[in-house]
Amino acid sequence: MKIITLPKENFAEFVGHLCSFGEIHAPIKRGDRSFVFAPVKDASEIELDCVRTILPLKKYFFRPMEVMFNFCAGEGYEIPSEVTDKRIVVFGAHPCDIHGLNILDMVFNGRYVDTYYLARKSKAAIIGLDCIPDDLCFCRSTRTDFVDTGFDLFLSDIGDKYLVRVGTSLGDDMVRAAESLFYEVQKEDRDAYKRKSIERRESFKTEIQLQDLPGIMDLEYESQVWQDVGETCLSCGTCSMVCPTCYCYSVFDELDLDGSSGRRKRRWDCCLFKDYALVAGGHNFRAKRSSRVKNRYFHKQRGFVSLYGRPSCVGCGRCKAQCPSGIDIVDVITKLRSETRV
Amino acid sequence: MSSKPKIGIYGLTGCAGDQLVILNCEDELLDIVGATDIRSFPMAMSGGDENCPLDIVFIDGTVVQPKDEEMLKRLRERANLLIAVGTCAVWGGVPAMENKFSREEVKKRVYGPTGDLFKTITPQPLSSFVKVDLSISGCPIEKEQLLQAVASLLHGDLPRLPNYAVCTECKMAEYPCLLIEKGHLCLGPITVAGCKARCPSYGRPCIGCRGPVEEANISSEVRLLKEKGFTPSDIQNRLRTFAGAADSLQMESLKEGTNA
Amino acid sequence: MSDAHNYTSDENPYLPKPARIIRTLPQILDHQLFQIRFEKEEMINNFTYRPGQFVMLSVIGTGEAPFSISSSPTRPGIIELCVRRIGHVTNALFKLPPNAPVGIRGPYGNGFPLDKLEGNNLLLVAGGLGMAPLRSLLRYALDNRSKFKDVILMYGARNPDDMLFKYELLELIEQPDVKCLLTVDTDNSGMWKAHVGVVTTLFDHAEIDPNNTYAAICGPEIMFKYVLEELLKRNFSKNRILMSLERNMQCGVGKCGHCMVGYKYTCLDGPIFNYWDAINLPEMV
Repeated sequence: MKIITLPKENFAEFVGHLCSFGEIHAPIKRGDRSFVFAPVKDASEIELDCVRTILPLKKYFFRPMEVMFNFCAGEGYEIPSEVTDKRIVVFGAHPCDIHGLNILDMVFNGRYVDTYYLARKSKAAIIGLDCIPDDLCFCRSTRTDFVDTGFDLFLSDIGDKYLVRVGTSLGDDMVRAAESLFYEVQKEDRDAYKRKSIERRESFKTEIQLQDLPGIMDLEYESQVWQDVGETCLSCGTCSMVCPTCYCYSVFDELDLDGSSGRRKRRWDCCLFKDYALVAGGHNFRAKRSSRVKNRYFHKQRGFVSLYGRPSCVGCGRCKAQCPSGIDIVDVITKLRSETRV
Repeated sequence: MSSKPKIGIYGLTGCAGDQLVILNCEDELLDIVGATDIRSFPMAMSGGDENCPLDIVFIDGTVVQPKDEEMLKRLRERANLLIAVGTCAVWGGVPAMENKFSREEVKKRVYGPTGDLFKTITPQPLSSFVKVDLSISGCPIEKEQLLQAVASLLHGDLPRLPNYAVCTECKMAEYPCLLIEKGHLCLGPITVAGCKARCPSYGRPCIGCRGPVEEANISSEVRLLKEKGFTPSDIQNRLRTFAGAADSLQMESLKEGTNA
Repeated sequence: MSDAHNYTSDENPYLPKPARIIRTLPQILDHQLFQIRFEKEEMINNFTYRPGQFVMLSVIGTGEAPFSISSSPTRPGIIELCVRRIGHVTNALFKLPPNAPVGIRGPYGNGFPLDKLEGNNLLLVAGGLGMAPLRSLLRYALDNRSKFKDVILMYGARNPDDMLFKYELLELIEQPDVKCLLTVDTDNSGMWKAHVGVVTTLFDHAEIDPNNTYAAICGPEIMFKYVLEELLKRNFSKNRILMSLERNMQCGVGKCGHCMVGYKYTCLDGPIFNYWDAINLPEMV
């Protein structure tokens, strides 16, 4: 992989160059202590120290709500052109964010291709940025604290410079567009990177053991833990909305008053909603909240492993940070594990 | 419904704000009028037909007076589909806020001696008296939901309205959580969505004006609000403001982990 | 990612293909057989499927729902869906006028593993609406009779008026190349000439060699339970018992998540599962 450095004093100018590759989106502040990815005009607006945004990057490619196609009697179906229009540059994606997108890439590709997601994804450049974990981050446990694919450029803070890994040809184009701002990697840069890497590794405060979790989940299928979480869970949907890898959606038709034209839409759905597994006729395969909670953990930590070879949790901490009733995934998993040890 | 469906729009006791939303559909009102045969809409027109059978009747307001109950039952007999419009009609709304006190006591407190001039009964939603085919809640209702409902009904379907919590729409719009960030008394987790989290979008907590979401976990909401320092009476007052008649919102009878 | 995923395909799997309901055949109360044909000649000619697969059917403006195919790919041109009026989409479907346009996507799901089934005896056990997917397999087997050994159908309904495809199946009773065992729980008419009793009582009327037979079961949950008991008692291998399962499906292509059971998508890995898979999936049966 091509690796170069960008002195921090050149950063703002580099960001200035990026707008020729699309609208720049980066973390900015919202509310007292929250952050969101949103359009920025220049580098000064970017919150470089943001640990996590409210919504992950999926919002750009898999929209909270979107029109799948319009319909009109006698004229058939028409896909909205918006899907393929706009180029964006996402700056400041953390390794867990990028892993989240890589997981969605797997889901939305496959035998059938989700054209909406992929059309938007193909129009976006991803520039990663490393970060210092807070108390809620457990991406080291999920092995998503480092990323080697899924970005065009990735910036690591090594003091007064960024070490820049170039992931794609588009990333290289972005570098070439501002070539004079970049430098070759020196020995002291390599040393600084390695030093920082250790520092970062040692700053993780939360750790859970996940490797053998699928087996433990099978073993603890009837655990009281699920009942307890079911009593606390509000079924409010927050954890799914903010999860980088929750991809469930619900499809519905919306009619115009003429009764013949309208649109088919989809919106983010959540497996904790009461009617998630409801079938026509009224049978609900997961009528109890505890069974829905269990299904959610099972899917992330057990089912996804069988389907795609890895758990779908990226350890970003959003579900804990945003849960109104304070359900903590690390806590739930720890309880499951300790029950096994007894 | 091969010919234009016959429609009636009526109000029981209430502010008539939901009927006003219908009137305020300025851009779509002509389409609605064109696609339907509005036989009676006392708030907006005189000379309505008060006897014909109706395909669809929309009713806002709460049953508060004996005459509301009579009118409601009469409308049920006339209509093929009865639609409860607005939180008053769906949940009892603000009139049902003080339902734990006796009617006589409340009447005396509010009207003094003049209260003897009229009769009231305990305010109840329409579903306490008649079969309701569709409930469109909101204080007032959302115009988009109303229009979608009308379009679906004209198409012969019942619309699929959101049956998830305000939190879902709040997070979809990426507003910071007011419970977590500000410690506000927010009812987002237990209130049915459809408003696109309008109050949180202005930094104000959800006050539950759309009524409880199906299977709301009230006991968990109450627990988390108590942990934030709110007193049981703060919480009960907020829960009761718009849906006092809803059994699920009575703190005294809260069961731990209902349907957990 | 841009160059890694240079997206060019215009194939959108969510777009229904225009089709029409060309005929509606009433079955029993609230059940109809819809005969559907694609609008485009190209689709009519190229659309093929395996018994056990399903399609997503759109009533435009109302929504979309999954339906297993009741016709057989050996009779191309028309897709038959046996539908119970039970929910949002089916209510609208039943109200459509003759020749109404609908949308079809698919076929989806695995369908029955025909390559494994061929050369074996086939035992089809159906209850209620469970006949819908099995009728596809039955017709396929009868149209490819030489590829299978014995073909046995056991179908139970509550009473004679509740039996789907009744006349067509009654005709099979006389046919030598298939053993068609029909039963009803109760018969108040006194006119019923076949069996009376639950479907498992039919096992006494057929000789079944578990080593050369595949069993395909479809029906209500309670029926699964008793039929499985019966088959296991007869030493059927769990891999030779195939069942068609129902789940909430909104995309049909393994994305929307609703039909996920344990670590399988019912829409991709199912809806046909063998019993071994099924007992390994939490919540499956």
